[in-house]
Amino acid sequence: MTKLTVNNKTYEISGASARTLASVLRNDLGLMGTKVSCAEGECGSCTVLLDGKPVTSCLVLAGQAQGRQIETIEGIGRAEELHPVQQAFIDEQGFQCGACTPGFIMSAKAFLAENPNPSEDEASIAMSGNICRCGAHPYIVSAVLNAAEKMQKGRES
Amino acid sequence: MEMRKKLSVVGKGVPVKDATSKVMGSLRFAVDMGVHRMAYGKILRSPHPHARIKAIDTSKAEALPGVIAILTHHDTPRNNWEAAWFNYRGKVLDGVARFVGDEVAAVAAETEDIARQAIELIDISWEILPHVFDMAQAAKPGSPQVREEGNVRPPSRVEWGDVVQGEAESDFIVDCDVKFPSQQYASLGRNACIAEWEDDKVTLWTSSQTPSELKDGVHEALGIPQNKIRVLALPSGSSFGLWWSNNFMMVTVLLAKKAGRAVKIELDNEECMATVKRRHEEHSRGRMGCTRDGRLTFLKMDHMIDNGAYGFKNDVGYTCLDLWSGIHNASSQVQGVNTNRVTAGCFRGVGDCTLSVAMERMADQLAEKAGFDPVDFRARNQIGQGDFLNGLKGYSDEVMKNTNGDPLAFVAPELRDKWPELFHLSSGSTVPMLRDGAERFRWGERFKGWGKPSSVSGAKQRGIGVGTGSHTCGVEAEGNSSSIVRLNPDGSVKVFCSAGRQGQGSETTQAQVAAEALGVPLEIVEVETGDTDACPWGHGSIASNTMYRGGWATREAALDARRQILELAARECFEGMDPESLDIVDGVIGPKEGQPSNRTTTISEVLNLFRSDALGQMSSITGQSRDPMPPTIAFSRQFATHFVEVEVDMDTGQIKVLDYLALQDSGTVVNPQVLKNQVIGGAICGLGFALYEELKFSPETGEAINANLLDYKLLRTADFPANAEVIFHESYDPVGPYGARGAGESPIAAAIPAVSQAVYNATGVWVDMPMTPENVIRALGKV
Repeated sequence: MTKLTVNNKTYEISGASARTLASVLRNDLGLMGTKVSCAEGECGSCTVLLDGKPVTSCLVLAGQAQGRQIETIEGIGRAEELHPVQQAFIDEQGFQCGACTPGFIMSAKAFLAENPNPSEDEASIAMSGNICRCGAHPYIVSAVLNAAEKMQKGRES
Repeated sequence: MEMRKKLSVVGKGVPVKDATSKVMGSLRFAVDMGVHRMAYGKILRSPHPHARIKAIDTSKAEALPGVIAILTHHDTPRNNWEAAWFNYRGKVLDGVARFVGDEVAAVAAETEDIARQAIELIDISWEILPHVFDMAQAAKPGSPQVREEGNVRPPSRVEWGDVVQGEAESDFIVDCDVKFPSQQYASLGRNACIAEWEDDKVTLWTSSQTPSELKDGVHEALGIPQNKIRVLALPSGSSFGLWWSNNFMMVTVLLAKKAGRAVKIELDNEECMATVKRRHEEHSRGRMGCTRDGRLTFLKMDHMIDNGAYGFKNDVGYTCLDLWSGIHNASSQVQGVNTNRVTAGCFRGVGDCTLSVAMERMADQLAEKAGFDPVDFRARNQIGQGDFLNGLKGYSDEVMKNTNGDPLAFVAPELRDKWPELFHLSSGSTVPMLRDGAERFRWGERFKGWGKPSSVSGAKQRGIGVGTGSHTCGVEAEGNSSSIVRLNPDGSVKVFCSAGRQGQGSETTQAQVAAEALGVPLEIVEVETGDTDACPWGHGSIASNTMYRGGWATREAALDARRQILELAARECFEGMDPESLDIVDGVIGPKEGQPSNRTTTISEVLNLFRSDALGQMSSITGQSRDPMPPTIAFSRQFATHFVEVEVDMDTGQIKVLDYLALQDSGTVVNPQVLKNQVIGGAICGLGFALYEELKFSPETGEAINANLLDYKLLRTADFPANAEVIFHESYDPVGPYGARGAGESPIAAAIPAVSQAVYNATGVWVDMPMTPENVIRALGKV
C-alpha cells in the first residue's frame, strides 16, 4: 500500500509504489489536471509540488512521494476562488491550448514563494523550465509578474 | 457591401471561454477521457523502412491472458482513405511498411501493459524492399518506389509574363539554393483516440482540429454511411496541423470493432513526434532579378517537397507570389516526392514559411546589390488593396475561360455586389505596416546598411531585420463551412460549427461573432465545435479558415436566427409591426429608435409563447447560412510584418533575440487577446524553426532520431523578449465577419525572413536554417 497525501487528503493505493507519481495521480486518483507530454522531465507539463518544491511527476515514483505533501493544480484554487496565479494567467492570457498551463502555474506558484517580487528577467528565466509550444511566452512572464503583484496586495490587505 | 457599424462584442479582448478550465487543469483532452469497460490498444510498428509482410503469426500474442483482439492487415479494408489536402493517402494497414514506425498491427487488451507485451509476441516474416530517404534521389528514375502510384507527384506550376525577357531586362540577378529542414509539430499533451461501436454505429473521441474531415475519413476508410459515424472531437494540445484525421484513429476504430469493446489508443510522445506527421523537408532553387531602380523583373523558382511515405501533395498553397506583386514575370513550380520516412504534411504557414523565405532572401540580396533599404525595397514591390493576385494566375485564366470572361456569371444578381472583384486583393497591404513598423522600431536610426551590425561589443554583434509574410484566409477546396445557431427556449444561444479547438480560441471568437449578429450578451452564447452529430460540415481550423470562412457562416446563421425571432416577435408581441423596425440590443427585443412603441420583450418570452401553443409552433429557433459563401481564396490574404533585433556571439555562434515588433493585418480584430497570442505564437514558432528546430533522420534507417523534447529544442520563455510588441492594422474586409480575415499563419512566415536578415546584418553572412551555433560558426568560416 502506498500512502499519499495529495491536496491535504490522504489516499492508500495498492500497486502504486513503483509507478510514476504522474500516472498514479491521473489514473488512480483521476487528477487529470496533471498533464503528461514528454514523460522524461523535459517539458514540465506534469509539474506538481512536493513539500512546496516543483518536481516533474513523470520522473518521481509514487513511493518516493510517501510522507510528503503533494500539491496538484486541483488543490490550489476553486472555480469561484481561483489562486492569484491562476487568475493572473487568465488576466494576461498566458496560454493558448492549455496543455502546459497547469505545469506552468505550479512552477510559478513555487517560484513566487521563493521570490515574491521578481524582475521580468527573473520571471522569464524561472519559467524556462517549462515548455509552451503555442508560444505564449511574453504573456506567461507577464502573468507571473501580475500574480506577484496580486499576491503582494493580498499580503498587504 | 456591408457598412461598418459600431460593435459591442466583436473587438473586445475578453478572456477565452475555457480560460477557467485551462488554469484549473479541468479542460479535457482526449488523453484525459475514458469510457466504461474500455480496453487499451497498442500499435505494432515497423522496424524496417520498407518491407512487405510475408507471414504474420499472432498465436503467441493471442494466448497472452488479457489480450482481447489483434488487428492485422488481413482485417482491414483494401481501399485508400485520404486526409484533407493530400496530407495522407493510403490504406489503414496493407501489409507493407513504408517507414520505420509505420503501423503494422494492433492489439487490444485489458491493460496497456498487456497490450504492450502482446505486440512484442507477434511474429512477422518480412520481405525487405529497397528504400529511399533522400527526395532528390527518390525523384530519379529507377529509384526504389515508395508507393504504387510512384514517388513523384506531377508539379504544380504558376507562370506569368516572360521570364526570358525579364532576365534580359535585369540589371542585377541573384540565385538561391536553400534547403529547409523538417520541422516537427512537437505538440504538447499527446493524443489518444477512443472508439466504441454500438451495433453498426461508431463513436470516436479524439483531439482533432478537423472533426468533419475525420468523419469523412472514417467513411472513406471503412465504407460505412456518414450517419453511422459520430466524431466527438475534443480540444487538442498545440496542434498546428498535426491532429486532423490520422491513421492511428482508423486503426482504433477497426480494433474496437474486432474487440467488440470500446478501445483507447494513447500515443506516447515519441509516437507523436516520429510516426504521425512533420513539416516537409524542402529544397528551393531560385533565380530573381531587378532593375537599377528596384523593379523586380523576374522570378524562377523550383521547389521540391518531401511527402514522406503517405503525404501526397504537389502544392503547398503558397501566397508569397501574391505578396511580392511587383514581380513582372515568373515561373514557379512545386513538386512533391515520396520517401521512406514518416509522412509529411501541412504545418502552420505551409509553403509560405519556406518558399517565401527563399524569395525574401533573394529579394534582400537584390536590394543590397541595387542599393535599396530592406523596408523600402519591400514597400516598392509588395501588394496593395485591389492589386491582381499573381499566385492565382492559371486558376484565374481557367475560371475566366469557363465563364466567358464573367467569373460572377453563376452568382445570383442580388449577391453580386456583396462579392469583391475576383482575383484581386479585397483588403490589406503590407506597405502601411512596413512604414509604421519602421518608425516604431526606429529603423532609420538602427539600420546601418546591409551586412553591417547596428552595434558591436567585443565578440557580440547586433543586427536588425525585417521580414514579411502572407497566407490564405481559408480555402474552399473540398467544401464550404457551415454553422447553425440555435435559440433555446430560455433565451440562451448555442452555435454549432465544426471548427475544432487547438487553443486558438474558436469557441470564443465564434461566440463573439454570433453575439454581435444577434444582439445578445456574449455570456449567453456557447459554442460546440466538435460533435459531428450536431455540427454541420466544416473545414475545421485549417488554412486559417476559422474566423474568415467559419466566422462568415456563423454570422449568416446568427442573422438568420435573428430574422426568425424578430418575425415571431413582430407578429405576436408588436401587433404585426414590420420586423425590420425591431432590433435586439443586449438581448432585449424592442422597436428601433424613432418607432412609436416602447414595448420590449426577450427571446425567451417570445419562444415561451409557443411552448404551450396548440398549433405546435416552434419552441426553439434554428438559424443557418443560406447564401453561397464567396470563393475567398480568389481575393483575401492575411499579412504580417515583423521587425527583430538579434545579438550574435561571433566566437560561439550563439544568437539571442533582443527586441521584437510584430505588425498584423487580419482585418477587424475580433478579440485582441486571442490575436496577440496567435501573432506572438507564430513568431516564436517561426524563430524556433529558424534558430533551433530540425527533425533529424538516421541515414541508415530513415528513422526520426530526435523525436523527443530533450533532443528537439524549442524556444523557452527566456529565449524571447518579454516586452515584444504587437500592433494591429485593421484594414476592413468586405466579406469577412465584421471585416475580419484569417490570422494564424502569416506571422510564422514573417518571423523567419526577419531573423535571417537580422543575423545577416549582424554578421555579414547568410546562415542556413536552423541557425544553430554550429551552423553560424560554419557560415562564418571558422570551422
